[in-house]
Amino acid sequence: MQISKYISIVITMLFFVSCEEVIDVDLNTAAPRLVIDAAINWQKGTNGASQKIILSTTTGFYSNVIPKVSGANVSIKSSSNLNYIFTEILNTGEYVCTTFKPIINESYTLTVVYKSETYTATETLQSVTPISRIEPKTNGGFSGKEFEIQVVFADPIAKNFYMVKFFSDTKKTPNYSIGNDEFTNGNENSWQYGDEDLKVGSKIAITHYGVSELYYNYMSKIISISSSSGGGSPFQTPPATVRGNIVNKSNSNNYALGFFSLSEVDFRDYTIQ
Amino acid sequence: MKSNKIVGFFVFFLITLASFSQENADSAKQKFTISGIISDANSNETLIGVNVSILELKTGVTTNEYGFYSITLPKGDYTIKITYLGFQTVDETIQLSQNIKKSFKLQSSEQQLKEIVVTSNKKSTNIKSPEMSVNKLSMTTIKKMPVVLGEVDILKSLLLLPGVTSAGEGQSGFNVRGGGADQNLILLDEATIFNSSHVFGLFSVFNPDAIKDLKLFKGGIPARYGGRAASVLDIYQKEGNSNSFHMSGGIGLISSRLLAEGPIVKDKGSFIVAGRTSYAHLFLKLADNENSASFYDLNAKLNYKLNDKNSLYLSSYFGRDFFNISSNFENTYGNSTVNVRWNHLFSDKLFSNLSAIFSDYFYGLTLSSVGFDWQSSIKNFNVKYDLKYYLNDKIKLNFGMNSIYYKFNPGTITPIDENSSINFGQLDKKNAFEPAIYVEAEHQASERLSFLYGLRFSMFYRLGGSTINLYQDNQAVTYNDQLKIYEKGVPIGFKTYGNNEVITDFSNFEPRFSSSYVLDEKSSVKASYNRMVQYLQLVTNTASPTPLDVWTPSDEYIQPQIADQVAIGYFRNFKEDTYSLEVESFYKEVKNRIDYIDGADLIANNAIEQVILNGQLRSYGLEVLLRKNIGKLNGWIAYTLSNSEQQTPGRTPNESGINNGNWYKTGFHKLHNLAVTANYSLSPKWSFGGNFIFQSGQPVTFPNGQYQYQGITIPSYGARNEDNLPLYHHLDLSATYTPKPEKRKGWQGEWVFSVYNIYNRQNAASITFRENQTTGSNEAVRLSIFGAVPSVSYNFKF
Repeated sequence: MQISKYISIVITMLFFVSCEEVIDVDLNTAAPRLVIDAAINWQKGTNGASQKIILSTTTGFYSNVIPKVSGANVSIKSSSNLNYIFTEILNTGEYVCTTFKPIINESYTLTVVYKSETYTATETLQSVTPISRIEPKTNGGFSGKEFEIQVVFADPIAKNFYMVKFFSDTKKTPNYSIGNDEFTNGNENSWQYGDEDLKVGSKIAITHYGVSELYYNYMSKIISISSSSGGGSPFQTPPATVRGNIVNKSNSNNYALGFFSLSEVDFRDYTIQ
Repeated sequence: MKSNKIVGFFVFFLITLASFSQENADSAKQKFTISGIISDANSNETLIGVNVSILELKTGVTTNEYGFYSITLPKGDYTIKITYLGFQTVDETIQLSQNIKKSFKLQSSEQQLKEIVVTSNKKSTNIKSPEMSVNKLSMTTIKKMPVVLGEVDILKSLLLLPGVTSAGEGQSGFNVRGGGADQNLILLDEATIFNSSHVFGLFSVFNPDAIKDLKLFKGGIPARYGGRAASVLDIYQKEGNSNSFHMSGGIGLISSRLLAEGPIVKDKGSFIVAGRTSYAHLFLKLADNENSASFYDLNAKLNYKLNDKNSLYLSSYFGRDFFNISSNFENTYGNSTVNVRWNHLFSDKLFSNLSAIFSDYFYGLTLSSVGFDWQSSIKNFNVKYDLKYYLNDKIKLNFGMNSIYYKFNPGTITPIDENSSINFGQLDKKNAFEPAIYVEAEHQASERLSFLYGLRFSMFYRLGGSTINLYQDNQAVTYNDQLKIYEKGVPIGFKTYGNNEVITDFSNFEPRFSSSYVLDEKSSVKASYNRMVQYLQLVTNTASPTPLDVWTPSDEYIQPQIADQVAIGYFRNFKEDTYSLEVESFYKEVKNRIDYIDGADLIANNAIEQVILNGQLRSYGLEVLLRKNIGKLNGWIAYTLSNSEQQTPGRTPNESGINNGNWYKTGFHKLHNLAVTANYSLSPKWSFGGNFIFQSGQPVTFPNGQYQYQGITIPSYGARNEDNLPLYHHLDLSATYTPKPEKRKGWQGEWVFSVYNIYNRQNAASITFRENQTTGSNEAVRLSIFGAVPSVSYNFKF
């Protein structure tokens, strides 16, 4: 699907023959900046009432603790004027709401008030075509010997943007990919996932998202610079801080990181047979 | 209309010059011309750049690309002196009372001296010629340098020259005076080479055995060259021995080479065929995998001398790289070129060459696991007509035209079978036409002062049939003022152009000027200015080129790059030409240097204009080259202090631009760059070579923080390219052993032993940051490509 991704792999392959070593590099730390992790996901077959938004700040690159942000006011208002208040689970930086009503194609506005500055963002809830089946492959990977799964879905004839999250129990962090239907419009389409640690019995949690074009562009940049998605190749583009769709109405220079997105998702648990 | 005027201007220019010279000729006493071809006595191979000096008049010429020289002098007796690197000097007295045809065959200096070869004089700097910012490397010098894995590499040896760097170890391309790798015009027998590397930059595509001569123009670029902003690398293939049949070759760790050359008709025509192939499976030692990386190339050239006035040449190159990962990933790419040339002498004074050149760069990829096949290519057809008019001993005129027709196929995507989820896709093919005319004079104004001045007029037509997107206010990139990000513009319509209909056209005057003023017998100062226009853009946002990089012609949204460069220099030979010193300083500005919006996806992008912003590039620096030309120990020290930076400001005050509109270092900026190379001849049997490279680390952007989003750790960054990789340095040594140095006939062999990076410096090719999968903490990872690499190769000829 992402042709560029496969083509880019060629380049990075060469570096498998060379020598990697963990070294100490001193890094500067910029002043902390607010991060709003507001991904509203409505799993097919549920009512989607329970939703969570996480507030935190940036911190030193080597730090093992992500500072939480407490005491903010967080709410989402729908275009039909329903207001959902997210309340903090005390001192966790996690703000929850259990009465959220997701509606496909409805527009929603997020408002966060923190340190008397107001941050807002508006997005539309995107639908998604369901996962039709999951196919295992035993000759996956470039070596042809890894376990690999193929998650198949039928792309409707329209311009669509997708995201997928694979969270394997062999990994500490999830793996995200994005896709569009530029070269596959209207076809049966699929995600591939495999890694060398997979074995019989490994469990993979699969979340398949419908996303907006703006969110697709955002995640495309996030995936390319995120360390846990295997970014940082010598041939990558010069990295820059990725700005999302959240605007500080009070002081535009003090912008927040993160994104406000709303997606319908299809979820599967898969065990390697 | 416009082009008529231009042609008129050139005609006027020529007539003026011609009448001016006519007048001179009448008033002076009778003049005659001596002309001819200078070649290697051994192989009959013509020699380029041989100095032909007239001692009495302290004047001279050099042979052109076809070994031809011509000089017109007043009637009289002269001593003519022929000097050329690696050959014995010839002195001859001539009586010039009529037009003379005189060809010289030079004996190699190695041929005569049984002892150690001590070449004299010819390497010293030519202080008189206005030519500056030009480096020539002889193949003999290149072949003696120690190299990684024992593969003699023309491009890598250029990196030892002042003002030339590369983005990093194992990366393809080279950077000249702070310019991008895409700004170098690389010509192999006049044909453009779009990708100069094998195996992603580890080796160059030029088989050292098949190459005769090369010249790198970093500034003061003659008007006959155009089309790239930074430099011209002009490489000539050998023509082959027209005396007798010979073979030569070499066996190395990576590849083997074989070359055959000989006469077609003795003294009239010759051929050369050279091949080089690597051993597959060598690189990728991924256990039990069927992976392979390999390459081969073929060079062939024929030449035939019809008569004294006409010669024909046919030369070609074909190279391919293969890269396979098990059976589901197949990657092939490479260049092919063909060039047919006709040399014609209209008179003793007027030399002409007509060339028809075809070149093609192909990139193909098949991914069975995803089910698609990808192909892209650039084809170009070039017709070139160059004339040299040797007006008199003071003025030589070069003029001509060339016109290139380009066909770009940015990508064809085909499903490999019925089960593939991929639809057939064709990215818009693009066509363009680039004609140019030029005129240039090499003018010795006085005994001390000489000039090279010229003008090139280049035109560029972006042609149909293509469909061009139209945008609101002609802006293909929009700025989201609220989110402070650049976004792809949404086309408001499109316009379809028929075949060969002109979509956009450009034209530019490119003045070129260089001059030399001789201070005394040993030293001179030189100054130059040149404007270069580049109509093709390489679409890449990485620091060094990759095989899949796509070139795109200028159009409505992508303006041609315009480079202006000034350079001044001081040149001196001292200690009886044992040493020479060249000091140059340059300043360069390039307009319309493109940059990309954050997150731009450049591969398979059919509307590249939607991610491009126009910026500018500037670079300046000081270059010092100190050479020891003579003796058992010779070599040079090159040091460059330079700065290379780029800026992409917002188009309106509201826009942020890239990097907040501030200047930032380019990915190939190197503040300090020191290269020392030396060669020591111990005995006829043993000689040793050494290189030492010391450079500032490449500019990079390190994170200045991290945050969490959706369960993954995201780095955050400050300004672009504010950090540097660690210092880059390595020392390489080589030893060449010739068991029977006195042998001149039959089998002659030599062994080359070398160690690259002898003290095993782990130079960082990159430093990346990642989350450790076991501890969950972030860490920095240094990637180094070559530690100490020993190698051995065996070369032979018979």
